Amino acid sequence: MASSLDTFAIKRDGTPDTQRIERRLLLLAGLFLCVNSAGLMLVRGNIALSEWVHVGVWGVVALTGSALLQRYLPNRDPLLFPITMFLSGWGLIIIDRLAPAFAERQTIWLVISAAALVAVSVFPHLLRWLRQFRYVLLLLGILLLVGTIVLGTNPSGSLSAPQLWLGFGAIYFQPSEALKIILVAFLASYLAEQFPAIRSGILGNKSRGIPISPRVLGPIVLMWGICILILVWQRDLGTAILFFTIFVLLLYVASGSNLVLVSGLLLTVAAGIVAYRAFPVVRLRMDIWINPWPEADGRAFQIVQSLLAFAAGGTFGQGVAQGAPTYIPVVHSDFIFSALAEEWGLLGIISVIACIAVLVARGFRIAIQQERRSFLALLAVGLSLLIATQSFLIMAGVLKLVPLTGVTLPLLSYGGSSLLASFVIVGLLLRLSALEN
Amino acid sequence: MPFTREINRLMFGMLALFALVAGAAAYWAVAGPDTILQRPDNPRRVQAEAEIRRGDIFDRDGIQLVTTALETTGSITRTYHYPAFASALGYSSLRYGVSGAEAAFNPLLRGDTTSLEFLPRFVDRLLHRAQVGSDVRLTFDLDLQQAVMSQMESHQGAVILLDVPSGQVLSMVSLPTYDPNTLDENWETLVKEPGNPFFNRALQGTYQPGAALQTPLMAAALLANYPVNTPFENARQELQVGNVNIQCAKDPARISLTLEEAYQFGCPYPFAELVKDLGIQTIQSAFNTFALENPPSLEGYIVSPPQASTQTPSSIVQTNDFVESALGQGSITVSPIEMAVIAAAILNDGNAPFPYTLLQVRTPQTERWESVQAGHTTLPMLTANSARQLQVMMEAGVSSGAANSAARIGLMIGGHVALAYVGESSQAWFIGFINMGSGRGAAIAVVLEDTSDVDLAAQIGGSILASANQYLNANPVTPQPTAGA
Repeated sequence: MASSLDTFAIKRDGTPDTQRIERRLLLLAGLFLCVNSAGLMLVRGNIALSEWVHVGVWGVVALTGSALLQRYLPNRDPLLFPITMFLSGWGLIIIDRLAPAFAERQTIWLVISAAALVAVSVFPHLLRWLRQFRYVLLLLGILLLVGTIVLGTNPSGSLSAPQLWLGFGAIYFQPSEALKIILVAFLASYLAEQFPAIRSGILGNKSRGIPISPRVLGPIVLMWGICILILVWQRDLGTAILFFTIFVLLLYVASGSNLVLVSGLLLTVAAGIVAYRAFPVVRLRMDIWINPWPEADGRAFQIVQSLLAFAAGGTFGQGVAQGAPTYIPVVHSDFIFSALAEEWGLLGIISVIACIAVLVARGFRIAIQQERRSFLALLAVGLSLLIATQSFLIMAGVLKLVPLTGVTLPLLSYGGSSLLASFVIVGLLLRLSALEN
Repeated sequence: MPFTREINRLMFGMLALFALVAGAAAYWAVAGPDTILQRPDNPRRVQAEAEIRRGDIFDRDGIQLVTTALETTGSITRTYHYPAFASALGYSSLRYGVSGAEAAFNPLLRGDTTSLEFLPRFVDRLLHRAQVGSDVRLTFDLDLQQAVMSQMESHQGAVILLDVPSGQVLSMVSLPTYDPNTLDENWETLVKEPGNPFFNRALQGTYQPGAALQTPLMAAALLANYPVNTPFENARQELQVGNVNIQCAKDPARISLTLEEAYQFGCPYPFAELVKDLGIQTIQSAFNTFALENPPSLEGYIVSPPQASTQTPSSIVQTNDFVESALGQGSITVSPIEMAVIAAAILNDGNAPFPYTLLQVRTPQTERWESVQAGHTTLPMLTANSARQLQVMMEAGVSSGAANSAARIGLMIGGHVALAYVGESSQAWFIGFINMGSGRGAAIAVVLEDTSDVDLAAQIGGSILASANQYLNANPVTPQPTAGA
């Protein structure tokens, strides 16, 4: 009989609790969305069925997704899917409120993303393919990224904005989103094979003065380095920071060495200094992070308006469509967290943070459960770190805790590629949660 | 399991970072409203102000002078329908604040003073309902205001017209003025204009009174039983003050004049002798009675833009000589409203009414006009006997004196013209009243900055008083209830 370590077999004996919990949470989420949709409709003064299309689609997607997951993954984690649907539905409401023209596209991407989530979570060979074909997949991701250098575009049409998308007619896709997942899978599979050598290199070969062998780390540093270079070339510095952080943290998990964390931090500081001198956009972001107030009407307008939005929201928020978050430029994308703060207040903010924290914590829990399968454990850790790190970077950025990085808030921000990638991550985590231990 | 420890550390690390984010959000949510939300560059403050539906302003007959309209775009516009009222009503601008009546009644017009019970107020705030202000009905009359503007033409100066005995301001004009409807577009030009259009000359003007001070001087003479009918030889001689020769407002065609006759023609010499005879203390006491140091004014009206000057454009001759000051060519300055109140006191048996402009208020909840209690009654300035004597003198001044241009057939108009010398130029004053009998009438002060033509000042004053007579006969003023009445 093949070992469950090799077949990634899922548990078939599902418990009724899973579906009950999931449906109750989805019902609560649905109620929340309905109340807010009704509020939005009343404020607009347009009492029509058309105002309920987005929530209606969300409801169908939630029920269908839940049913399919129950059919194919009866023993999955009961919290991941409801939280994902809740946050994405809330994002849909906010986008409809802030930029109604984009809500339709986001709804379509929700359907596509949910379908991808189900497909990823039920497809039986995906995990094996991620491991077996890691170089091919990574090369494909890099090629797509290189493609943006030649064929890249920006959905806004602006030539001065970063050309990070590939356009197919009216559909735009950001290759860096797919590359995030591919890189994590690559790192997980590689480190899963090499971690014994890495750990013994630290523990057993200190006399050589090199705690981690370059021969061991060379390939992943190379592949990772290529990704970073391309991202820097394309001025997608937020994603570059994300990749660097994930690399360092996964290496830390694999090596168990605190030196990796310290080195990573020092390298981050060094890179920040170099970037400050080399890139005007980095200099700008650092300057306005340190002291935005003198330039509140100029270069620091966006971050100042973001802080004003938090202040205006107070504890309970202004109410849906009752605040003024549209003063923040690009509020429906990078600063959706600020818009949420203004209209749902501190209570809304804490709810979002709590949901993301639970999502991440469940992902880590899944990783710990895969105790004998290092690839799956590292994969779960890496995917959870993607959500956690990206969420932290943007949430802290709009609150002036860290400089702005230009990444989106997973599941909430407008952006089809980002939504799709987030759902695929959750789909993978769902699959991992349903595997036999 | 080799990674458990590291995974746990990462998990707690991430949770700590999320807690940090929550803490930062809490900080801005709690501390922000009292700090950064008060920043002047917070567009939400401007938006909140822009969404306030200010109350409308009506004249005493219910004609809408200023209205607020909600446009189809959602924006709110405030329209001033009559340019004649600009100097009286002021302006309301998101960028530049408020002035004039808009400033004086700002809390009412904004709705800040609308008393609401807790629940309706809570519901309004919950539903983000726009704040709606109260409508105000002022004492001004559109027809009289337009008549004043018509009479003043393009002369620089001020006119203020009061009802007697109530003290209601029927008209108030300061020129040059501006169009509040185009304030934002023309602001930069207006604040630099040499004529200071934002400066309310009727209320803020600090003018050299010149011979206009002869009225309180005459009141002092009457109170002191000074012989006002004793002739002065060479009464029309000029007096030198500094490098200015002050003379009669109009040539009396006689050399010898009594003090009463000198008053009717605005001749300075007899009054200089009067000041010397009565002494500084008596004169100062008389000036104090007329509240020259602390005159009554309209509360809350005066809000000048910081860029605009707060000084009356003309320069004032400064002198330490009390006689010269008492003759109105020294350190004593007066405003048109002050002189109008003095004229009103003379008509009102020595009791000066306190001027006011607010008649009624209509809150958005009631939609019913409620009369406003007048804050003050009267200020005694001189005895009834002295007041009546001055009335007779001023009526004589109109019928046969220098203020003859103010005379109108069949109307009992009294007045006094004066010249004030300011540097190399001079200004013309007319203060007067119309006596409609039974203690009713109107009082006026006119000052023309760009001419020494006292006949013109008298002619303007007389025309306006005649218009006031016509209006008040058709629309008698109802006294406002006073506090405690």
